[in-house]
Amino acid sequence: MIDLSEYFGRRLPAITGTSQLGAGILAVQQVDSRYQCQRCQQWLADTDQLPNGAWYCRQCLQLGRVTSQTKLYTIPEPNRFSPPESPLTWTGELSPDQQQAAESIRQHVQRGQNQLLWAVTGAGKTEIVYPALAWAVTQGWRIAWASPRVDVCLELAPRIRAAFAAVSQCLLYGEQPAPYQYSQLTVCTTHQLLRFEQAFDWIIVDEVDAFPLATSPLLQLAITRAEKPTGQHLYLTATPGEKLQRQIRQRTLVTTYLPLRYHGYLLPQLRVRLAWRWREHLRKGRLPRPLIRQLLAYLEKGQRFLLFVPHVRDLPEIMAELAHQDIRGGVSVHAADPERTGKVQALRDQKLSFLVTTTILERGVTFPNIAVVILGGDDAVFSTAALVQIAGRAGRSADFPDGEVTCYIQTQTRVVRRAQTMITRLNRQGKQRGGRRP
Amino acid sequence: MMRCVWCTRTFEPPVTLQDLLRWRPLPMPALCPSCQERFIPITGAHCPACGRQQATTIRCHDCERWGAEILTNHALFQYDAGMKAYMQQYKFQGDYALRKALQAPLYQALAQQRYDVLVPIPVDQHTWLTRGFNQVTGWLRDQPFQQVLRVKADHKSQPQSAKTRAERLVTPQPFMLDTAAAKIIVNQRVLLLDDVYTTGRTLRHAASQIYLGGAKAFTSLTLAR
Ligand SMILES: [Zn+2]
Ligand SMILES: [Zn+2]
Ligand SMILES: [Zn+2]
Repeated sequence: MIDLSEYFGRRLPAITGTSQLGAGILAVQQVDSRYQCQRCQQWLADTDQLPNGAWYCRQCLQLGRVTSQTKLYTIPEPNRFSPPESPLTWTGELSPDQQQAAESIRQHVQRGQNQLLWAVTGAGKTEIVYPALAWAVTQGWRIAWASPRVDVCLELAPRIRAAFAAVSQCLLYGEQPAPYQYSQLTVCTTHQLLRFEQAFDWIIVDEVDAFPLATSPLLQLAITRAEKPTGQHLYLTATPGEKLQRQIRQRTLVTTYLPLRYHGYLLPQLRVRLAWRWREHLRKGRLPRPLIRQLLAYLEKGQRFLLFVPHVRDLPEIMAELAHQDIRGGVSVHAADPERTGKVQALRDQKLSFLVTTTILERGVTFPNIAVVILGGDDAVFSTAALVQIAGRAGRSADFPDGEVTCYIQTQTRVVRRAQTMITRLNRQGKQRGGRRP
Repeated sequence: MMRCVWCTRTFEPPVTLQDLLRWRPLPMPALCPSCQERFIPITGAHCPACGRQQATTIRCHDCERWGAEILTNHALFQYDAGMKAYMQQYKFQGDYALRKALQAPLYQALAQQRYDVLVPIPVDQHTWLTRGFNQVTGWLRDQPFQQVLRVKADHKSQPQSAKTRAERLVTPQPFMLDTAAAKIIVNQRVLLLDDVYTTGRTLRHAASQIYLGGAKAFTSLTLAR
């Protein structure tokens, strides 16, 4: 016998015994002269045909291939949960600012509104959502907490599991080892939402501005389709993109705004320093003089730091030049690095003095007392959002609220200026709420 | 501007001076430079029997253990993390478009082999229905080949990758000769094509059938070792 709960609010190929699942629909269907995938809604290229005649979708291949011979089945979401009376088992406390934001979110949810929480990095936005989430759980809602970043999901899942200990939960991502389980709370990557259909009463989208969600119509569609027609969503961000900012200005999206960090100190501003032709120098294996002096001074003081650089391919040469300048005691780390988690932990445990990295550490990773240096902030890989997020790595802890953020550039760019403007604006509003300079 | 068939990013194909001087249409690379780097070609010294990269040109330890069942296999690439990731997506996830990634190097390799009949390792009926293609013939462009071997109907299709080395070594003969096609190989030099050389069991089973069919020589080529 197959477990039918597997199909609640989902859109899946049949495993066996389709008799109880109805007719199903063909996963790839012909529309005029083209073929369209019914799981991800993308059009197939006219070369995506197999020698056995079937058409297959490459866009959602990571979820398991579907072809024009595959059938997809769904069972309408029955909300078959027995939620606890008071689901929130988190015992932490919200600051007055956080409490105010939390209350505002809960009210919007109760009114059934789509909404945005714009909270600066280090504001504690996860906990701010807890009161509203607790209310939603008692309503018997099915809820997804989705993020485009798998790191964010992995970091989030244990926290939410502890905060809502008696609520059924599952974590879904590409290489997840545990099998799927029908649960009231789903923490997942936005990609995984492609497997759902009209399942969720509420979808919380964390880091809504992060790659690849911001630029992917496929993932945006996944969110829309996973939400019930009667459902709603909450976007979380520290750095809204231009489209969201426009919606905020035009008041077409209900927004809760938290410009202060939980410890009440303002954000560190990006200090820009000119580094003439850093790119050419880097190609010859040289680093800007002021940068070297700054890093040596950090080492002398025992100040740990993160050095962000544009590309993975730059890492070996930079490490060699740092060693040559006697800047030792750190390592480089990049997205595909198998030892990534261990290296990050080593810096946290003060076993390392610094990490040299690409934009992968821009989000979610926190160190109590860290200086931040960006080499080549004018490179195209750094977006405004990335720069604000990177700056947000500094000054996270109440014990060390001031953190230096230095950005070396050859020319002032619009992207860098926008990042500075965003921080200034957030700090102006933070000051009105009583925020202090560290 | 081209789109990489593997990572789907766009890239500028590298053009060398020789390419320009040759004055004919440039070959269109299917992979961007960084995906290309994920394949490590086997160059220089290698085992004459299985084709694996090594420091010497004498038979490797694994091949010694086969004793008299001697093969002559060439392999194009090392079977490392990059190649495994490729096979995972192409063969196991069934991304047929990825066949294009290795068509060009295989084309060149085949041009250097001396043979009369090219025989790809077949897939069984179940794989044909579920995967929808034969991963080996997918790498061929228009080179002629003969499907001389068939998988026996009673052969249980358990993936080689799910077995231990010892289990693979005792796998019973999975192939038979196709009655119609068999006469094609009589007195011919046969080149067998397969995806990965792992233990050599599959290739040796194929070789014994090919010899039964009357071929006068047998060599093999695999994409990876
Ligand atoms: Zn699809
Ligand atoms: Zn590529
Ligand atoms: Zn060998």
